[in-house]
Amino acid sequence: MMGRRRFLTRVIPTTFWANIVMRSLSINAEAKTVENTSYKVLTAAEVETLAAWCAAIVSGADQAGVARFVDENLAGDQATSLLLLRYLDASDMAGFYRNGILGIEKECMHRFGLSFARADAGKQLELVEAAIASKMQVWTDPDPSFFYFISRSDAVDVVYGTQAGFADLNIPYLAHIPPPRPW
Amino acid sequence: MTKISHDKVEVVIIGSGIAGSTMAAELGEAGFAVLVLEAGPERQLSDMISSQIWSRRLRWAGPEVRESGDLVGAANFAMGWGTGGAGLHWYANWYRLHPDDFHVKSLYGRSLDWPIDYEDLRPWYDRAQFYFGVSGDEDTNAPPGEAYPMPAISISKQSQAIKPGFEAEGLKLTTNTLAVNSVPYDGRLGCLLDGWCDAGCPIGALANPLVLQWPRARKAGVDLRHNAYVARIETDPAGSKATAVLYVDEQGRENLQPAEIVISACHTIWNTRLLMLSASDKHPNGLGNGSKTLGRYFTSHALTTIHGLFSQETEPHLGVSGANTLCLDGYDDKQPAKDTFGSRAWLVGQAAKPNDLLGIALAKPELRGEALDAYLRQASLHYGNMTVLCEEDSIPENRVTLDPSKKDRYGLPQAHVQNSLPQANASRSDLARAEGLRIFNAVGVTDAWAGPRNPMHMMGGTIMGDDASASVTNSYGQVHEIDNLFVAGASLFPTPGAINPTATLAALVFRTADYIRTHRSELLP
Repeated sequence: MMGRRRFLTRVIPTTFWANIVMRSLSINAEAKTVENTSYKVLTAAEVETLAAWCAAIVSGADQAGVARFVDENLAGDQATSLLLLRYLDASDMAGFYRNGILGIEKECMHRFGLSFARADAGKQLELVEAAIASKMQVWTDPDPSFFYFISRSDAVDVVYGTQAGFADLNIPYLAHIPPPRPW
Repeated sequence: MTKISHDKVEVVIIGSGIAGSTMAAELGEAGFAVLVLEAGPERQLSDMISSQIWSRRLRWAGPEVRESGDLVGAANFAMGWGTGGAGLHWYANWYRLHPDDFHVKSLYGRSLDWPIDYEDLRPWYDRAQFYFGVSGDEDTNAPPGEAYPMPAISISKQSQAIKPGFEAEGLKLTTNTLAVNSVPYDGRLGCLLDGWCDAGCPIGALANPLVLQWPRARKAGVDLRHNAYVARIETDPAGSKATAVLYVDEQGRENLQPAEIVISACHTIWNTRLLMLSASDKHPNGLGNGSKTLGRYFTSHALTTIHGLFSQETEPHLGVSGANTLCLDGYDDKQPAKDTFGSRAWLVGQAAKPNDLLGIALAKPELRGEALDAYLRQASLHYGNMTVLCEEDSIPENRVTLDPSKKDRYGLPQAHVQNSLPQANASRSDLARAEGLRIFNAVGVTDAWAGPRNPMHMMGGTIMGDDASASVTNSYGQVHEIDNLFVAGASLFPTPGAINPTATLAALVFRTADYIRTHRSELLP
């Protein structure tokens, strides 16, 4: 049994963590631009759409690496997956994301004649709100509102669910065993 | 395909979760030679990483379940995978069924009766609470029993904020009863109240199989084999005796494990499915299914969570994942209004982190962008919640079946769960929802809202009963017509009450282990 509590996040001032977090995010964002070709399951185009979609739902999700989070966890098996989707439908997780991303693109093309990542904030918002209401014109599978629910959760995970995210929200992390990496 | 054959053991137990590990420790300590087969991988305390993201690895990763009906979903969230099963991420809420819960059919003409009553189980509840280590104070609304071995965990800021709302409603909010150490107990530390229970408790303050049952079982010589997915229980030509279990190992090889006594101690769905998969000439509809009730009377609890933002700070990240406080006031009134039915229990002040299914962000799934960020910053300091569990009637239409049109990764028919909440229970759930909103609004929250109705816990499917023509096992979990085959777990429950099932599950395991111990000469040739 582990006998000691991890006090770090409680005793070190939040500003210290916030500085580290911001620097880390900045470095990560630069690194991810360079590493853009190294995705394992999703294509570069799919990554671009998913990152833009998640950023439209949770600010900063793209820079926090949501597309890589999804991609890396789709590359492994269900047993090691860190995706919330595994709770709700683990039958074909890669297919779920691919079809969802395809749905975003089809709907955006149908409505606006351009890809989601190229759409302005207003058009992106319109599409996200249509997904929440499940009022899509051409996107039917997977259920747009369920895809919104899952992709929003992924975005929340990487932005708010990590030690850095807790620190940003001023929540003491208080780990018994800290995670080896954010995800 | 050539099978790998193993030497016969006295007892083989399928599943290493709370039911399986408790049974293994009890029978091992009673001198039986016990082998446990676990479908998932070996787990260590170091796997219990304090993160809602990383803790997903503790959850179910076995074959998918198809679910249909209006009270299903998230089966993979509830089940475990690997040593300790769901016992590695359970919430440790510890409650006894009430006396009336055992006689619903007799008292109300609906649902079912148990073949035992509260007094039959009471000594085993007493034993279980000392074995697991339960913290709690006396509650006059709870059934009688021994005093808990530890005082209750103190009232949290969340509960302090919510409590006046219960008082305004004329209800009594009490400290909760939890298998979590409020003080050091039995060589395990007291809880730090850091709110990571459902990511696993590596310090062992929350009773989990890695710190409680498995050390005892291993000391007693119990063998544990991982990555062993049991696909079938074999029976003799007469169909009256279980002879072995067939399992698939990590390399996909079939293994035959003979045993004198077979105990299926899986999660509810998998106990049921395994008996169905074990159909034979003598048992064409599955083992223990002479009554055609195998799979039927599946139940859950209808859950609704009330969320609110309070003016005072509530420290929502602290505490326990289960609940800090409890309201059983009114539990025994199963007919609180016309055309409604079922008990209800309020679990109040659950520790909440920002993310995951029960996290603060998903409490308002419609929020996004700046509105989400602003909400999370406020909620991180001021959020409070409470969950009501409502009873579901046991009806034959709610059931587990095999779907031969869909095969799992082992080539076996997929399990299909159908569960829809009967109307009288749904109306009861609606009453509770309104009650919860009144409670929160009475304390002047700036925002109070109710989440959707969801299922929590899975029970039934291999129900116990005195009548072999209407049940799958007797009250010891001994399968009708096959004396050396037992079932352990919540699949035995004829009715679910409206409280978390693990204390009852554990009490039944102790009772069955005692039966096997005292009938050793009849069960072992």
